[in-house]
Amino acid sequence: MKRNEIDEQFDQELRKRAEREGTPIPEGYAGRVFQTCAGLEESSMKNQQRTKKNAWRWGGAVAAALAVLVAVPNVSPTAAAAMSEIPVLGSLVEIVTFREYSYNDGHNIADVEVPELSGSQAADEINDQVQAYTDQLIAQFQADCEATGEGYQGLDITSSVVTDNDKWFTLRIDATKTQASGYEFSRFYHIDKATGETATLSDLFADDANYVEALSAEVLRQMEEQMAQDESKAYFTDQFTAIDPEQNFYWNTDGDLVLVFDEYSIAAGYMGMPEFVIPASVYEGLLK
Amino acid sequence: MEQTRMDKETFCAQVIRHQEAMFRAAKAILKQDEDAEDAVQEAICAAFAARDGLRDVGKFKPWILRILTNKCYDAYRKKRPSVDLEEVQDYLPAAGTDPTDRLTLWQAVMSLSDDLRAAVTLYYYDGLSVREIGTVLGISEAAVKTRLSRGRERLRQLLREE
Repeated sequence: MKRNEIDEQFDQELRKRAEREGTPIPEGYAGRVFQTCAGLEESSMKNQQRTKKNAWRWGGAVAAALAVLVAVPNVSPTAAAAMSEIPVLGSLVEIVTFREYSYNDGHNIADVEVPELSGSQAADEINDQVQAYTDQLIAQFQADCEATGEGYQGLDITSSVVTDNDKWFTLRIDATKTQASGYEFSRFYHIDKATGETATLSDLFADDANYVEALSAEVLRQMEEQMAQDESKAYFTDQFTAIDPEQNFYWNTDGDLVLVFDEYSIAAGYMGMPEFVIPASVYEGLLK
Repeated sequence: MEQTRMDKETFCAQVIRHQEAMFRAAKAILKQDEDAEDAVQEAICAAFAARDGLRDVGKFKPWILRILTNKCYDAYRKKRPSVDLEEVQDYLPAAGTDPTDRLTLWQAVMSLSDDLRAAVTLYYYDGLSVREIGTVLGISEAAVKTRLSRGRERLRQLLREE
């Protein structure tokens, strides 16, 4: 019998034996999995981790001393003025103030600072969108604080102007939720200076252009190329079928289109938020 | 492309279906029951938050195992600077006994070195392909084959003449 046939026969024996013998599972494990599943909430993403971990290890969450939630909008014109002096900020759109929220009860900490723009109707629209988005995240954080008692969680929201040139103004809002581990995600808000209007990815392309297919194919190609070159890279290539039609993007300093993906969405968590620089040749024929 | 978010009921049904495979994979990496359960729990929460990234529910098992192994590696790096010899000895036959006597397959698997256990477990217990194991563990197919080959030889030695 050849070597590979011997190995194959041995493999079959081991598989049968694995099925027959099974593996020892701790008593109560299935119940704890069920409990974790039951505790998942559609709206609160992964924010139950620390609480559930406590419940598993110490048999129940201890009621925390009630803390008053502090979530006070705090206008900060000084900081805004300092940032608006940064040369990259153009005259069309500028940051006039920051809206700040902070909360710290010794266990749960939120630190939120988002800018308010002025200079155009599009800037006002972005202000509304950013406020709705951050209000939603803060509301989730507040609800989780009340639900988890003596948990430990964090919410950090920061911002940056990633592009401000003749054509585009792009504000990036970065959020990190922290419990057992962090979860990072970002949203990008764009103003097309040529039209003076806000823009999303689909606005870049002609109505009949199949840009989703073109960009998705390029992202998949780059994922496979990176994994072939570096075995530490772990993209979820078998699950990735297409980008979101409104995938997060920005233009880098070289003028290249960069697609951005939230942590865990297309790759193992240790890879953070993957970004892919898309060559213009992939999409230039599809632009408006 | 429009994508429907997996609802909680479907997600939980999938988790419960694969809960044994999840514990086994976590245990193969972390060795301690409590650490394995913590990693499973964290993976369930992380996977639920990231479920929009799963495009095909048919791939749920390798998808959640990948998130789980990532959690395990995080925990492993944080808490284990060196190998605890007492833990290793838990899975080896006692001195003075026939090393092949009464050794279950799981005991044999758990006595393998750190880098072999997860690949061997996913291959023999969970029926994952070499490619799927590579994706789950974040290593190349060639590396998976090497680990399986080494694992097979070691298991053959341990289980021979049993």
